[in-house]
Amino acid sequence: MAAKSKMKKICSLVMAVILLLFVPDMGCGVTLRAQAAESINGHQFVTENARYALYMNEEDLSVVVADKVTGAYMESSISYDDGNNNNTWLGAMKSAVVLTMIVQSDDTRQADLLNDNVTKTITYTSNGFTADLYWNSYKLGMRLEVSLEEDGLVARIPDESIREDGDEYQIGTISIYPFMGCSYLDDKEGYLFIPDGNGALIYLDDKEGRFNSGYTAMVYGTDVGFQETVVETLLHDRYNMINDARKVAAPVYGVAHTDDKIAYLAVIEDGAMRATIEANPNGVNVDYNRIYAKFVERRLYTQPTSNNSSSGSFKKPEDSRSHSDLQIRFMFLSDEEANYCGMANAYRDYLIARGLLRSAEDSYRTRIDFLGTERENWVLGTTAVVMTTVDDIREMYEDLATEGVTDIFTVYKGWQKGGLYNVPISKYKADGGIGGTSDLTKLIQESAADGIQIYLYNDAMRINPDEQNATFNVIKMINKRRFTEDTHKDVYEEMMYLTPARSNKLLDKFAASYFKKGVDTICLAGVSNTLFSYNYSGEFYTRYDCAESYESMVRDLDEDAALVLEQPFAYLWQYTDAFLDMPLYTSNYIFEDESVPFLSIVLKGTIPVYSEYVNFEANKKEFFLKMVETGTYPSFYITKESSAELIYTNSSDIYSSEYSVYRDTIIEYTLELRALNAKVAGAHIVGHEMLPNDVTKVTYDNGVTVYVNYSNTAQTVDGNTVEAMSYKVGE
Amino acid sequence: MKKMKKRIISLAALLIAFAVSADTIIVQADAPYKTYTVDGYGYVLETQTAYLPYETITKVGEEALNAPTDFTLLDDGYMYILDSGNARVVVSDMEANLISTFGEGVLVNPRGIFVTPEHICYVADRDARSIFVFDENGELIQTYGKPTAPLYGETQDFLPLKIIVNESGTMYIICESNTNGVVQISPVEGGTFLGYFGTNGTDPSLWNIIWRAIQTDAQRAKSRGNIPATPDNMAIDEKGLIYTVTRGEAKATLKRLNIAGVNMIEPDYYEPVPAAVAVGNHDNVFVASQMGFIYEYNNEGDLLFVFGGSDDGQQRIGLSTKVEAIQVGTDDKIYVLDSDKAQIQVYEPTEFTNYLHEALYLFSKGRYTQSKEPLTEVLKMNNLFDYANMAMGRALYKEENYSEAVHYARLAKDYEGYSDAFWEIRNNWLKHNLAAVIIILLILFVLKKVIGVLDKKKHILDKPRAVLHKVGEVKIIKQLRYMFYYMRHPIDGCYGIKREGRVSVLSANILLVIFMLFYIINKYFCGFLLKYVREGSYDILSDIGTIVVMLVLIVGCNYLMCTINEGEGKFKHIYCSFIYSLGPYLVFMPFIFLLGHVVTFNEAFFVQFANLFMYVWIAVLIFIAIKEINNYKVKETFKIIGLTIFTILIACLLAFIIYVLWSQVFDFIQSLFGEVVYRIGS
Repeated sequence: MAAKSKMKKICSLVMAVILLLFVPDMGCGVTLRAQAAESINGHQFVTENARYALYMNEEDLSVVVADKVTGAYMESSISYDDGNNNNTWLGAMKSAVVLTMIVQSDDTRQADLLNDNVTKTITYTSNGFTADLYWNSYKLGMRLEVSLEEDGLVARIPDESIREDGDEYQIGTISIYPFMGCSYLDDKEGYLFIPDGNGALIYLDDKEGRFNSGYTAMVYGTDVGFQETVVETLLHDRYNMINDARKVAAPVYGVAHTDDKIAYLAVIEDGAMRATIEANPNGVNVDYNRIYAKFVERRLYTQPTSNNSSSGSFKKPEDSRSHSDLQIRFMFLSDEEANYCGMANAYRDYLIARGLLRSAEDSYRTRIDFLGTERENWVLGTTAVVMTTVDDIREMYEDLATEGVTDIFTVYKGWQKGGLYNVPISKYKADGGIGGTSDLTKLIQESAADGIQIYLYNDAMRINPDEQNATFNVIKMINKRRFTEDTHKDVYEEMMYLTPARSNKLLDKFAASYFKKGVDTICLAGVSNTLFSYNYSGEFYTRYDCAESYESMVRDLDEDAALVLEQPFAYLWQYTDAFLDMPLYTSNYIFEDESVPFLSIVLKGTIPVYSEYVNFEANKKEFFLKMVETGTYPSFYITKESSAELIYTNSSDIYSSEYSVYRDTIIEYTLELRALNAKVAGAHIVGHEMLPNDVTKVTYDNGVTVYVNYSNTAQTVDGNTVEAMSYKVGE
Repeated sequence: MKKMKKRIISLAALLIAFAVSADTIIVQADAPYKTYTVDGYGYVLETQTAYLPYETITKVGEEALNAPTDFTLLDDGYMYILDSGNARVVVSDMEANLISTFGEGVLVNPRGIFVTPEHICYVADRDARSIFVFDENGELIQTYGKPTAPLYGETQDFLPLKIIVNESGTMYIICESNTNGVVQISPVEGGTFLGYFGTNGTDPSLWNIIWRAIQTDAQRAKSRGNIPATPDNMAIDEKGLIYTVTRGEAKATLKRLNIAGVNMIEPDYYEPVPAAVAVGNHDNVFVASQMGFIYEYNNEGDLLFVFGGSDDGQQRIGLSTKVEAIQVGTDDKIYVLDSDKAQIQVYEPTEFTNYLHEALYLFSKGRYTQSKEPLTEVLKMNNLFDYANMAMGRALYKEENYSEAVHYARLAKDYEGYSDAFWEIRNNWLKHNLAAVIIILLILFVLKKVIGVLDKKKHILDKPRAVLHKVGEVKIIKQLRYMFYYMRHPIDGCYGIKREGRVSVLSANILLVIFMLFYIINKYFCGFLLKYVREGSYDILSDIGTIVVMLVLIVGCNYLMCTINEGEGKFKHIYCSFIYSLGPYLVFMPFIFLLGHVVTFNEAFFVQFANLFMYVWIAVLIFIAIKEINNYKVKETFKIIGLTIFTILIACLLAFIIYVLWSQVFDFIQSLFGEVVYRIGS
């Protein structure tokens, strides 16, 4: 410890000298055309943009990005060695590119730039450098391109530069600047930002060795194509007890050093479909906090040779690596932007500038979803359980209108012939039980005239093998076993996934027959938030292929249809008119210190964001306040009949949905949230703070401030007194 | 060196301050686990999150815990944690501030702790083979060793694991490898052994009895099935009732024992591997499993919730690795001690659960009308919630709103409540309609008389009678009608079947179909109180399959046995006589079915009796059929029945062996195919 603080002192002394020598006018802190230092911690100056300077160490290609105004910097390698790290770890901590290799069935071998015999050819370019790398002993090669652009540092490995010349060593994963923004124990104040749920922070405090593993999550969810025997926590070997962890909806992560007022948000621009985000606080193997993206090129999988789970299986790597460029953009943020709110703002600007997010009409609406029909077991087959007919919906709309609630957004689920789980839907044909096709068409059109939008729910990805022929056109996993999804329910015990091509075909057919009736509102699910690798008729398709198919399918549909997507992944945001089922919390990992509304800040004011169903929240008050805080619109899942009717259907998890129960709540929420959102219509959140007294202060770019008090006593902030478990709008 | 409480102040845009305390991690969020409840059939349903993870206590003051195994929570806000890895007791307040530690140097391998409201602390120390008692200052005031009483057993070791103490100071101790039950020691005279308490029973299954009969004494002593399971943990409530949990004891997993050791609770859904039990503030009981599942029961053992789960590397808050103890705070928060993670996880009840607890409380105090209010809130949030439906039904019953009560009782599968409410409804109906019914019956009677008289005089019924007679003479109808004769005169009936050709295979088949129909209708549409299948579940195919397979087995095996035992019966005759022996079912079932719709539990006896009568009749008919068709004597008939049963068993065994062999072959082919596909693929 003593050595460390000495080292720290020397470092800061050196820094001070450097600053004094080279940045004489830094003290004023106003000049943006500040002079960059020659070198920082052994890294030589390479290039600069308006605000930041880039330094690089030729030995390991590690970089330092420094804020020319404040002198603060972030480095991609550790500058202080606590002496507890072996060479392998030091290699991983300092190298610009770190590989794991697959040697037969071992996927843990590391290759880096320090410990291995690597030929490096470095070329300096106008705004950065390019390095051709070749690991001679492993016969692996690639080119790293680093450039400092106006909105950030871009690190890229082009797909065509990746070479595997030998047979023995294959590339497993590639990490680019895995220690970017690293820090030792609690040397820095700040946090790692991870895209779990709406967003979460891991503080850079001393974790005292409490955690032995960190956050690992595949961007855009896990890959069912590689599904191996998952350990499920089942109650009595039957009931799944654990909620799935939230999927990573946007390929971002970040680090903020709040004491130095410097932060970055990393956006995985290419290769995100097969990347994992790894965030490890100190104490996980080593005492450094780090976060990075790990690109998966090839994975091991289990190939069983019999259907008997106990016998016959072996591990092998994928036949060929997946093909995509790998590119990360580190967007650096300073001063008042160097925090998670700044990250979210930067990401929003980034998306809008590139057309990845487009503004949609964003006036307040209450989302009231209806469940049409479901099925339960009956004599020799199943029978319909009709929950909400077209006429019921009409009546409920009329009833709500008498209370002044007309700003409604509806997704109608289970409208199709055969009920909610008669999927896929290949034709616009409503179930007779709810009133039939023409009645439904009429309702959609009439409601539209009254300003109520009704979207028809369509899970274009799943197929129900009990209702439809699932012999062909369903995906197989990489081990050529058919993929089935266990529903843990009684009527339909499993679902399968259609191939993207088949989904596309059926969706087209459905859309054509739908448009013919003069209606065009569709809510897409399944394809909006799932990606998988799969085998189909002898071909292997990666997640890149899957994403490409899905994106083109959604893009084509978006041209003719009014489209909303359920919990869409970031690459589909540009096609949706609303974000449905926004998670307001996280997956509750023990290493998370705070949950932050990152996605909400990104999207609020650009497209309407609807919450998950209020029905199933046990703490209604707190959930309401969370919606106030994030500017989220409420969602209800409503049936005309009592939800007791659903007990023997696959929707038995809908244990509360009856209209008569929720009528008053709908009206109350609508009146309150409509008034609130009228004040911030179209405005973006630019400030978000969680104050120590459990009050959250949210600032919009039109000057409106919302104070949300989560504590059990009244609190005063900025002269505004906010009642317990309540909120207040300040101007 | 490191500051305990550390404030990270971020001076970003505006002063952002996060208060982080290193000893407790507070998170407000939704839960990583699902919450389930069970309905009246024991069918597991998802429900609203009952408890949310509230905070995690990993340290008390500066003191880290090491493999803690037990703790006690006192109402005045003191927490005594048995820090077993460090062989000491850590006393903490509810904010995890250190108050004191004691027991260092005294304790060896402590495993259980109990603290009285007066802060007298009892520690069960396994390796010291002693109970240590400390006063409120942590001073050792008493030590109890192995009881010297001969009743305890001289060779019996004393390895105390868990301890509770009642108001009078009597200690109840669970000891390792002591299968006699909970050791009961009174504090008088330095520890007086009072006897064993709450001994679990052994499994008295038929198989065990047979097995025991052929074992030697030595084998019998060793056999695990003969040794009652030792309870795993226990708790005591304000009234001095003792709760024990024992793994693998099915419905006796959770017991509430009165002072005499009699069990007064029977859980409707139980945990196979319970680790700990605690008593709540509303007559409710909590059981935690080692895996991390937490069960909440009401005072009758009906499961209210089960939630939580095991953390297999997911690292999510609220999941456990190895639960050792559970306690409930005065504010209904649940505290769960995890020895592997060396932490106490606190769970906070949600709005939903608070409503339910209020209802539980009011209901247990008999304030039914008041309890309807929170119950309504509960049902609003989840109208499938079994307990709430049951309580609502009972409350409405007390209010004499019987039709609603029946509705809720049926939803909750509350048979007693349904029966009571239905009795009232039926009573009301009878009160209002009895006169009308009698009048209608009278009219019908008079009508019959009138028609009789008219018929006698003017023969108005001759034509219909002639038609009926004609229909009755149709061959197949006649064959079917033979059933009634057969029922009453089985010996003659068999003669008719065997010699006179009074029935045909077709008529038997028709009767079989009618039998199946009646069976299915009765099974799925009988009165609610008599129904044993779940409402809304239909499995007709397997019903039909079962009947057919049974029939084939019985008739086939019986025929095989008869042919080699000089029976005279042909297959056709055996088949027909067996089917015709089902006659009573076809005659009585419609009446039993109708009766089933109007009886309550008070009169269920009638239905049971009718059923018994019917089945005995069928059995007698079958017996006579076997005897007469094959021309056997009574003794031979019994022999044939025994042989038939034996043959059926052999046939089943054979089918099983063939199935196993085939599945092996099938698996082999599949493996081969998989291998080939894989080789070609690569």
